[in-house]
Amino acid sequence: MKDINEDIAWAKINKDVLRSLESPRKLYWVIVFCALAAFSIAVGCEVYQYNIGMGVSNLNNPHVWGLYIATFIFWIGMSHSGTLLSAILHLMHADWRKPIYRFAEAMTTFSLMTAGLFVMVHLGRLWQFYYSLPYPNDRGLWPNFQSPLLWDAMAIFTYLSSSILFLFVGMIPDLAICRDNIHSGWRKKLYTVLALGWEGTDRQWRNFRVTYLTIACFLIPLAVSVHSIVASDFAMSQQPGWHVTSFPPYFVAGALYSGCAAIITLFIILRYVFKFEEYMTLPILKKTVRLTFAIAMVWTYLNAVEFASVWYSHDVASKEVLIQKATGPYALAWWGMIFCGSIVPLILAFKRFQTNIPVLLVTSLLLNLGMWLERWMIVAPTFSHGYYPWTWDHDQWPSWVQWGMVFGSFGWFTLLFMVFCKVFPSVSMYEVKEMVYHRSLASKKLEVSGAQESVEGAH
Amino acid sequence: MSVSNLLENWAEFRHTHPVNDVPHDPYKWAMSIDLDACTGCNACSVACYAENNIPVVGRDKFQHGQVMHWMRIERYWPEDGRDFPDQGATFLPMMCQQCEAAPCETVCPVGATNHTADGLNSQAYNRCVGSRYCSANCPFKVRYFNWYDYPTTENVWPAEMTQQLNPDITLRSKGVMEKCTFCVQRIRAGERAVKNEGRILRDGEVQTACQQVCPSGAITFGNLVDPESKVHQKWKAQRVELNADEQEKDKEEGGTDLRGYRILEELRPYPSVMYMERVRESAI
Amino acid sequence: MIDNNFDRRDFLKVLGWGGAAVALSGCGNTSVEDGKETVVSYVEVAEYVAPGISVYFNSTCAQCDAGCSISGRVREGRVLKLEGNPDSVINRGKMCGLGQAGVQHHYNPDRVREPLLRSGDKGEAITWDKAYTLIAEKLNGVSGDQIDFLTGSISGHTKALLGNYLESLSSKNHFVYEAVSPAVQRAANMKSYGMEMPRFSINKAKVVLSFGADFLGAWVSPVHFSQQYAEFRKGVDGKRGVLVQVESKMTLTGANADRWLAVRPGTEGILAMGIINALGVAGLSMPSNVQEAAKPYDKERVSKDTGVTTESIVKLAAILKERTPSLVLLGSAAEGYAHGSQNAAAINLLNQVLGNVGKTLEASAAVPFPQIAPTMGNTAALRMVNNRLADGQTKVLFTYATNPVFTSPAELKFKENMAKANFRVAFAHYLDETALQADLVLPLDSALEDWGTLVAEYQPEGVQISVQQPLMEKLHPETRGMGDILLALIKQRQPDAYKSFDDYYAYLRTAMLKNKSEFANSGMDDDVFWNGVLSSGIINVGGNLNKLNSKPDSSIKLPAPAEQDAKYPFTLIPSVTANLRDGRHANQPWLQESPDPLTTIVWDSWVEIHPKKAAELGIVEGDIIAVESKNGAINAQAYLFPGIHPDAVSIPLGRGHEAMGRYAKGYGVNPFQILDRVFDEETGELAMHETKVKLSKVGKRVIVVKDEGFAGGAQHGKKIAMTKSSDQVDLSEEV
Repeated sequence: MKDINEDIAWAKINKDVLRSLESPRKLYWVIVFCALAAFSIAVGCEVYQYNIGMGVSNLNNPHVWGLYIATFIFWIGMSHSGTLLSAILHLMHADWRKPIYRFAEAMTTFSLMTAGLFVMVHLGRLWQFYYSLPYPNDRGLWPNFQSPLLWDAMAIFTYLSSSILFLFVGMIPDLAICRDNIHSGWRKKLYTVLALGWEGTDRQWRNFRVTYLTIACFLIPLAVSVHSIVASDFAMSQQPGWHVTSFPPYFVAGALYSGCAAIITLFIILRYVFKFEEYMTLPILKKTVRLTFAIAMVWTYLNAVEFASVWYSHDVASKEVLIQKATGPYALAWWGMIFCGSIVPLILAFKRFQTNIPVLLVTSLLLNLGMWLERWMIVAPTFSHGYYPWTWDHDQWPSWVQWGMVFGSFGWFTLLFMVFCKVFPSVSMYEVKEMVYHRSLASKKLEVSGAQESVEGAH
Repeated sequence: MSVSNLLENWAEFRHTHPVNDVPHDPYKWAMSIDLDACTGCNACSVACYAENNIPVVGRDKFQHGQVMHWMRIERYWPEDGRDFPDQGATFLPMMCQQCEAAPCETVCPVGATNHTADGLNSQAYNRCVGSRYCSANCPFKVRYFNWYDYPTTENVWPAEMTQQLNPDITLRSKGVMEKCTFCVQRIRAGERAVKNEGRILRDGEVQTACQQVCPSGAITFGNLVDPESKVHQKWKAQRVELNADEQEKDKEEGGTDLRGYRILEELRPYPSVMYMERVRESAI
Repeated sequence: MIDNNFDRRDFLKVLGWGGAAVALSGCGNTSVEDGKETVVSYVEVAEYVAPGISVYFNSTCAQCDAGCSISGRVREGRVLKLEGNPDSVINRGKMCGLGQAGVQHHYNPDRVREPLLRSGDKGEAITWDKAYTLIAEKLNGVSGDQIDFLTGSISGHTKALLGNYLESLSSKNHFVYEAVSPAVQRAANMKSYGMEMPRFSINKAKVVLSFGADFLGAWVSPVHFSQQYAEFRKGVDGKRGVLVQVESKMTLTGANADRWLAVRPGTEGILAMGIINALGVAGLSMPSNVQEAAKPYDKERVSKDTGVTTESIVKLAAILKERTPSLVLLGSAAEGYAHGSQNAAAINLLNQVLGNVGKTLEASAAVPFPQIAPTMGNTAALRMVNNRLADGQTKVLFTYATNPVFTSPAELKFKENMAKANFRVAFAHYLDETALQADLVLPLDSALEDWGTLVAEYQPEGVQISVQQPLMEKLHPETRGMGDILLALIKQRQPDAYKSFDDYYAYLRTAMLKNKSEFANSGMDDDVFWNGVLSSGIINVGGNLNKLNSKPDSSIKLPAPAEQDAKYPFTLIPSVTANLRDGRHANQPWLQESPDPLTTIVWDSWVEIHPKKAAELGIVEGDIIAVESKNGAINAQAYLFPGIHPDAVSIPLGRGHEAMGRYAKGYGVNPFQILDRVFDEETGELAMHETKVKLSKVGKRVIVVKDEGFAGGAQHGKKIAMTKSSDQVDLSEEV
């Protein structure tokens, strides 16, 4: 398989990536239009729900949470992709992340923004959401710091602002390249402002590296804690099926899982659309795929841990909920989750499929479907079959309002992503240059020392 | 925004009960419901609708599970596999148990539900943003959410029916959680009335709507820390303690021949409602 | 408490209107300025009103005829909630859900507000003057025997006035009809005990054996009996009372029984005789003719006939013999069947054999004033009116407090026959099915707006006359109290009669004052007396006890259990629930939304089928079933209910309205329509459980709208609603 050409001219890298910022072709507008249409469905649903009341979602007593919370967790989960690639792999010096981490980080930011929408949409009185913020008021009221939902609010807010910062800081050298290579119009002004006067001096590079590293180090525990906090929305409650100590790592694993799967999807799409084959090479894809497989196995293990703990705990209520998940009204979705989450990724173990684009595209979508189902299966069955038999409700299904908003959220995400792709370089130019430089150095060293092999397998 | 306010109150916040170091004084409202006297007539439920401005949701919304009855009467059949329920049914009035360690109170992000000094679980409608975490965490599922804006929904309170509304209790708009309050409006009105006399409420001076209407007197409500009150005497006679997650009498060998118990006590919410087991004649 | 001179009507007038105006303007999202001209200043407040403070006025609940006394909470001139009046011997401060819904009867948005002249589907609002003129016109030339008055059960001064009006018309045709009435029981009690409604003391009994008497639900005086029941459970001498219920379909009382015995429909009398037989076997002494009569009812035969096990019969006899006094109550066993009177005789005989008469079954007091004593309705009255209408004997028909178009079996063709009368007047609160057939609908004040007296049929202690007074000024200016209307109509015929009475209030007051000496110290000041009456809401008179004349009748002829009809294999039991009764309250939304205690179903009808039978027929919950009798078919959703005899199905009465407002119309189906014309042989009462039906699946399935969830009535091992056996509990230490 062809990896990045070590001899590639830096000017070519610039040219290839900057080309992606040119005036969009028809396909772009088609996608934007579709995304906008999907998003407007969500807006319509929300306007309807806002005016009439949450009841139009078919939520009821005891099913007070539904797809809004499930999809919220799903989007938060997706956001872990960027952090994983940008920050964790950065600390591990895995240079193969360099061409792909930019769009992954963008994905993080936009996922978080989409997740934030769901928090709002889920609230019964969303126009008063600010009660959850410690704003100055005459009554001396603070939000309730004992509540996991409030920790959510704080964690996500922190995570979002940190991610935006990380994305922005990481883009500065690239923005400078854009500023220097695009000479006219509003873009020139935009890049000039955002590049913060980057000249590429030694000092600036040194400061940059330190800043980048610091944020990366800060961001990793933040990402872990964010999803652990989201997990504690459930783990800290008393309800059967939720009160499980393995939830925080389970959620984080699931988040990394769906993030990786999303990276694969976007990788394949971007590579095709912007003709980034040179940079988003198949070896990189293969590594991503293997990483995904590893995480899939971790997730499967943690899933099994949950089942095992229910079994040996002898907690009757939890056992009943688990049995209901497998045999009750949600059985189809639950088994779908098991299939998509644990069986489908086995494909990724086979070398033959690890670079097969069509298979990977479908697989990555299925994996994410599995992860979305997982979130739903955490939320819903506990409500349908909780501690109190009188309130068991096996017949509650989300209405078109909920489905509309879930569907529309993908439109919103896509919209944001489309705008990003055309305004900011979705491949990190300076990092690719670094990568190529280091690799050529390494192979030259080998040449010098007498070794002949290509550097391909060394990473 | 006072940080000192926060820090000072935090010390008291969710402290106290059921930890015994700060006893309830002068009131701790509690209830005792005798399942042997409860006939299942539903008068309490209707009286609650009348007293607390509870909206009638109509058939379609009821089908969707969006009913608002703060007090619901559950009907259980004996599970002995026989052809007929020849020992009748057991009716259980279930409403907010006003738990001392309420699972709902800790999880509200905006602090709309809290515990009062007199042992009630309070719900501040105007603070509630409708996250519904409280209902998610309630083991009894006795919290009811306003899924629609009932005051402005057709046929809920049309025309003259608005005149029936109790002015002592607010109408809830959409997006707000509500539940049984032990008729807190009556309690507060009673407390105010006796304050002018310089004393505290005596047993029977404040009755909840359900207790007042119950034709068989199955519901006993009162001040648990007042030794003269019926509810105190009942809890004492049944040897049920508020701050225990497993009662002494249940640990004794051979079980107990008393019939007071609390529901889902093992989850440790420390409910303030004691139920007395329904009795069935063995000789027939 | 009201004890000064003042004009209540004026104060209520001012306050009620002002209060209502304030409330109305407040609720309509209008501007602060709207309605300011009608706002009453709270600075110049009327007497007895402190804004924000409630005042309680006593009155009488009119939701059923138990006559419970109520205390209405009134604030700023409007009644908010009803509570029980603690001084009433009937309800002692308690109420039932039906009573609570009385405010919804009063504030109902679908009340008739003006006299309506109806033709076909249209109604034209006219003035009262025009209405009265029209009545005079239509009565002109009609002789008294062509004028019929069909009312529900009636008592008090309204009854007296009604009697006077009929007299003025020279008519003797007052028919008192109740679709659900214990008429067979009354006749049987008369024969067995010498009075129609003796006093029952459940709280003094150690065992209560009820043959379908739903005394906790809808039988006679449920609030009163519920209180007795609570005492009963605490026990006489510390021993908890035992309740055994015998019926084919479980009622609310049956659900509270220690032993519920499912009995083949119609065989209750056989069971009663079987118990007498078993008592004899157990050694209880009884008159020889009774023993002789019970001889053929040995336990094997009785078990075969009724479906009750021999073991149960023996146990029941044992406990009845051992724990005395007991009490045997008579309910649906009497009202249900063509041989209902025979069932009743057997069941009453059991009471006599057990020696309960004089102990737990005692004489009730006679109402000292026959003109206001209650005249209770029955179903035979409907038949009479129907026949007269069909034959064209009735030219003018008045209906009051009754809805025969809804409650009569379709086979009687009451609606068509009613059309044959020349002129039909309905005194009504709502446009129900009968009012829609009337030519003239006269709107009534609600029970909370009107004056009156009510004497309940069941009197637990002496005789209590319940007084009704308005709890607020009338909501709709053009409604009138029934008493006022009757006065106006009488004055039409006899201008000099009642000339001194401006209105019904004046008449009532004068009538009560005339008998002051019966009620209080004759030297008492008139106003003090009258205000005392109003403020307490009740008048208690001693009343002479009726003579308890217990006549055990051993000449009981009970038919063998009926063979199952191959074409119509099921017995239809139309059930009477506490909140719906005969359907007159179906437009009160609290009652529609209040789950049926046994099935938890709301807002709709259902057909109860025993789960085993349903399994045989391949019916699951929610299947729409066509329940067809000889006289018609109705479709209802199936509900699998274990508390019913497998050969029976049950549909609740009270729903299936085609009129009567937004909360009643279109909800459920009306089993009254398909009832077979079978009558009790002795009294001629409609036998409610004699309709035979067949079931067929329509092919549709719905989700049943009910409160219980997926778990139904199961607790799945969780300790939620716990029960203890009586031999494992010590009730002696209880408070």
